[in-house]
Amino acid sequence: MQRQISEPDLVTILDEADAAAARLRRRLGLPRADLDDLRQDLLLDLIRRLPAFDARRGSIGAFAGIVSRNQASRIATRVARERRATGGRLLSLDAPAGDGTTLGDRLGETDSLSAWHGHCVALDAVIDARIDLARALGALHPRDRSLCAAATQCPVRALAARGLGSRATLYRRLRDLRCALAAHGGRAA
Amino acid sequence: MKHATITTVRSARRLTEMEFAGWVGAAAPGDRLEYHRGFLAVDIVPVISNLPEPERAALKALGARAWWAAEQRLVHLVQERLGPGLFAYIAIARPKPKHAEVSLASLLVDAEAA
Repeated sequence: MQRQISEPDLVTILDEADAAAARLRRRLGLPRADLDDLRQDLLLDLIRRLPAFDARRGSIGAFAGIVSRNQASRIATRVARERRATGGRLLSLDAPAGDGTTLGDRLGETDSLSAWHGHCVALDAVIDARIDLARALGALHPRDRSLCAAATQCPVRALAARGLGSRATLYRRLRDLRCALAAHGGRAA
Repeated sequence: MKHATITTVRSARRLTEMEFAGWVGAAAPGDRLEYHRGFLAVDIVPVISNLPEPERAALKALGARAWWAAEQRLVHLVQERLGPGLFAYIAIARPKPKHAEVSLASLLVDAEAA
């Protein structure tokens, strides 16, 4: 049964979440900017578990305190695991970096997690590649352009089934296309 | 009077057709690449070529790609005589010819509509 929460109970819950978030932030040595995130995580967990509250077994404050402590323990374990995985502590992008800027303001695209994993993150390089490809496609015969478009969506077997030629012919044409695109300045992605 | 130094790049090993195409795509006008040293007309013909069959076939494809690039006005092809029956085959990059750009997105839309 859905239990209506009274205003004093709500205030108690919010206070417990605030106190638990502040304790957790201090314990983990997290920047002040992370306080709101911690508070939200604790509060959400508390609200989710509120239907389990039984007033005969104790006050709402005691219930909120225990639930917040357990959730804080889970968050601390998760943070420790992330620190172990990344070889150090995780910094929030909102963390102040001096001169009124945040850490996020000072990080370039090439410092991002995607860059660590080898993805192309430089927007200008992506735009250059797109322009190069458009130029290279413009230099192709219209028949080859339509094969290019078809090859981006279907495997060779499907293209052959659609009557665009035998598989051997298609493979030969695609090999020629690769060379032609490369010679006209199209780079492999 | 000063003369510009002309440098011709020469690969330590035989280039593939794709490597040659990649060089053409990346080369600035005036860049020079020696893509073969020997006697191409003989080296690509079965029976009289001294090259093993896979190498001969690869050289034939490379020569054809160089010729294609010249036809596309991407390179000039020249040869330098080094001795009797020995030539350096050189590709000189030209300014890229202008073509109307075609975006891949528009191609895909056209393909969907067809």
